[in-house]
Amino acid sequence: MAGTAVLIIDDSSVMRKIVERALRQAGLNLTRVREAGSGAEGLAVLGQERVDLIVSDINMPVMDGLEFVRQVQRQSLAPGVPVVMITTEGGEEHVRQALEAGAQGYIRKPFTPDQVRDRVLPLLVPG
Amino acid sequence: MAVAGAEQVARWEEHLDRAVVEVFSIMVGVSCAPTEPSPAEQTETVSAVVGLAGALSGALVLRAGLKVAERMAERMAGMPAEPVLVHDAAGEVCNMVAGAWKALDAKLSGGCLLSTPTVVAGDRYELFGERAPLRIERTYCFEEQMFSLTLFCDPPF
Repeated sequence: MAGTAVLIIDDSSVMRKIVERALRQAGLNLTRVREAGSGAEGLAVLGQERVDLIVSDINMPVMDGLEFVRQVQRQSLAPGVPVVMITTEGGEEHVRQALEAGAQGYIRKPFTPDQVRDRVLPLLVPG
Repeated sequence: MAVAGAEQVARWEEHLDRAVVEVFSIMVGVSCAPTEPSPAEQTETVSAVVGLAGALSGALVLRAGLKVAERMAERMAGMPAEPVLVHDAAGEVCNMVAGAWKALDAKLSGGCLLSTPTVVAGDRYELFGERAPLRIERTYCFEEQMFSLTLFCDPPF
């Protein structure tokens, strides 16, 4: 698989590292990793550069992941770029909200590298 | 407490144990099991609080000595832990345990919301919610490192 530039958004620095490691273990060749601590910081990153994949927590201060995804859609900041939400909230209602907001995938914490691979890889266009 | 309440508490204790085992096995990369509480040896502590609202009102609190929290963070991040990483790791473990715990209860899974974690370093504080009528405290051990989790809430029964 060609290199992937990823934006990881989570208010927890340790989770950002875990997500990056899980993506690498899933087989992704990460050529660029951008980190943001909130949805607002994530929007700022997308205003400056293009990425191939966005992985975002939902429950964050300042701007949560759902509002971040809505803003990305509204402002067309990352057309065609898959967004995968990661959260501790695994209920059907939360999944529905994330998908309606514009996310393409959903992973519940705690997660295994296999779960990350199964949910993320199908969303990436080869090459 | 009524029999139904006692059974519910026992179930929540068991669910808490299962949630801790799952989170540590998958996200921390070590085995972790319930153990008997012992007198605290470390005065410097890290506490993480995740609020519960909706079907259940209360909080889950993780308390660990600083060295224990550092070990937790190092295991999770795969690198030596800076202070911010230690605090984030304690908050994230508490958050994931709370999420995994409520997911084991059909009524709480969709009907109870979690707050973002708050982390407190040091032990000169009091959580007023700890006066809540129901309190479940469990002690756990991984790699000879002990920490506690306390669930306190207004019982819905």
